[in-house]
Amino acid sequence: MKQLTKKSPYGIMIAIAILVVLCVIPAFGSTYALSILTLIFIYMTMGQMWNLMGGYAGLLSLGMQAFIGIGGYCLAVFSVNYGVNIYLAILMGAVFSVLFGLAVSPALFKMTGVYFAIGSWVVAEALLIAFSNWKFVRYAQGIGISTVYQLSGTQVYYTALALGVVAVLVVLCLMRSKTGLALMAIRDNTGAAEVMGVPIYKTKIKCYMIACFFMGLAGGVMYMVQGYIVPSAGFSIQWTVAMTFMVIIGGSGTMEGPIIGAVLYVLLTQYLYNFPGWSMILLGAIAVVVILIAPRGVMGTLHEKTGFEILSSRRNLY
Amino acid sequence: MKKNYLKPLTLACSFAVAGSILLAGCSGDGGGSTTSNQPSTAAGGAEKTEIVVGRVAPMTGALASFGKGSMDVEEAAIEALNADGGLYMEEYGKKLPIRFVLADSESDTTKASEAATKLINESKIDVMITSHTADTVNPVSAACERAGIPCISVDTPADAWVANGPYTYSYHAGFNTENELSCFVDAWDKIDSNQKVGILAANDAEGIELSSAIKEYAESRGYAVVDPGRYTSGASDYTSIINDLKAADCDILVGVMLTPDFSTFWKQCNQQGYVPKLCTIAKACLFAADVEAVAAGTGICDGLVSEVWWTPDHPFISSLTGQTSKELGDFWTAKYNEPAPATMGYKHANVEILVDVLSRAGSLDAGKIIAATQATNLDTCIGNVQYNDDHVSVMSLVTGQWVLEDGKYVQKIVINTQIPECPLTGDLKTLPGSTQ
Repeated sequence: MKQLTKKSPYGIMIAIAILVVLCVIPAFGSTYALSILTLIFIYMTMGQMWNLMGGYAGLLSLGMQAFIGIGGYCLAVFSVNYGVNIYLAILMGAVFSVLFGLAVSPALFKMTGVYFAIGSWVVAEALLIAFSNWKFVRYAQGIGISTVYQLSGTQVYYTALALGVVAVLVVLCLMRSKTGLALMAIRDNTGAAEVMGVPIYKTKIKCYMIACFFMGLAGGVMYMVQGYIVPSAGFSIQWTVAMTFMVIIGGSGTMEGPIIGAVLYVLLTQYLYNFPGWSMILLGAIAVVVILIAPRGVMGTLHEKTGFEILSSRRNLY
Repeated sequence: MKKNYLKPLTLACSFAVAGSILLAGCSGDGGGSTTSNQPSTAAGGAEKTEIVVGRVAPMTGALASFGKGSMDVEEAAIEALNADGGLYMEEYGKKLPIRFVLADSESDTTKASEAATKLINESKIDVMITSHTADTVNPVSAACERAGIPCISVDTPADAWVANGPYTYSYHAGFNTENELSCFVDAWDKIDSNQKVGILAANDAEGIELSSAIKEYAESRGYAVVDPGRYTSGASDYTSIINDLKAADCDILVGVMLTPDFSTFWKQCNQQGYVPKLCTIAKACLFAADVEAVAAGTGICDGLVSEVWWTPDHPFISSLTGQTSKELGDFWTAKYNEPAPATMGYKHANVEILVDVLSRAGSLDAGKIIAATQATNLDTCIGNVQYNDDHVSVMSLVTGQWVLEDGKYVQKIVINTQIPECPLTGDLKTLPGSTQ
């Protein structure tokens, strides 16, 4: 018990060292390395938020792609049609994501477990259909986000890095706060948590709003990279498949899990482009094997067997 | 016990992570931006030894029929050129062979974008070529615009491509909505009908373009248009649309659909007792394999009309290999034991344009390639290619009809208004099982 909760001095040092390396990489890194790392940071943000919902709060959502689409479309519509600054447009996407999340949460949080998962998926699918039939966003024609063409790879890299770092810090701080304890209590036993005085609805909403905000940001930054959005891509269930894969592989309910998962997911998908038609099959097979051999994922298993962790959300006893 | 190896394990992991990142960061071209317009050299700054051309195509997924033949067709097009040492590049004072690098879009716009970015950043391509519907061409063009890489595309409706512009680095050759509608309306004119036309179009890029243009165009040719509204691709029930078309007594259908959508729709039409006199559908019935799949052993596809971008009977010759369209078609038939589809000609033409542009640019500098592309005036196997101010070269079409012959579906060219030199191979007929 003492071992598991004792403060490790190495974690923070390692995190700072990695961050410093990541900050200076554009000075000497290749364009390919930058583009890979950019994708890793964006997927890491998505994974962290999905993990916050599913791994810590027990809110298994299949509809977080709704906010990626909102974030992407806000960037496209506001920056292309109205000339809004790209970064402001991304921020507006996050705000709209929160507002939409607030609007649907009363209905969604009446459901739990698999009903919540399906309900959230239905919301995302409804948005896909709505955007596909909405003249304001040019139906399903897609929008070329020409405003982002001027950005250099380095600018996009730093934007994604900032997003990823802030997302990790926010989740870390949240999980070390009273809200984090409340979330884990809700996940482990909602009834007991309520009896102990945890405000269930308020805590869930807080967690959901944070996830919505960062998903909106991640969507904006992702489409800053891609430069073209259509509803079938922005609101695709594939985003949730990717998030689930990352969290399962990396380790659900751990801070490092989505980071490791994002690294593995991006490197695997990039490598599997060399094997047309096999990428999804191989990704699925890897997920199945990991679930069978190490159901707690890479970081969960590593922690279980060695006590190793860098970004612990556990409280220190002394 | 754990305490004993926690420290070294932690340090080892940190070194591993930092080391791998450093290694990843140090490899490659040493540039820090995705905007790379400098004269391209081989990785590591060594002397340029080849021209690397990226190729994104849908090899798997719903658009796999379009991707079939890549890279066989593209490789065959440059085989003789490369055997002769390659393309002379004035900038380097020598011939450089062309090497294609293929990436599969998996018929998905997100994957198409990521695949293009991978080719640009990892394979260090000098130029991109791409084709086969807006789901492939639009995201790849956007990725090239982001990275400042010249992109030469073919085979997607020009209007759906232009709508996502303006473009700096991308150029496109394809038919426009007007040509597409014209080849259908020419077919309507040839049959006796009540001149009522029903629209079938999804709310995607091509569906919106076609449906928004058709009313004015059809009415100008004396037809009344009935629009039951857009559907979302993947729909499983078309009953309300079929009821609307029935109620409006439409003798003719026109639309642009994905093959799986059309398959569902057409079967439900037959089940619900509605078969028009003529069904003119773009995209869904371009390939014999798709028509066979829709028909599923029945005769319901006998008489379907589709736009045809290219056939082995087209009166054009390859500027690159000197082959006639028939010879190009024979290559496909020998390879796949089936008649050559329209994609064959467009894949070859994509390479024709690429080689012509590069040879005139004499350089791999993006600015020079773009200038050369803008000045293109090339007779290809799909017709003459010249780009306008929107970076588009509008190509012509003929009208084809699928006919069931000896248990197999064969496409006959029934109207050639836009390319009179293209020989007709059949007479237009109404759908055999028409209920109208």
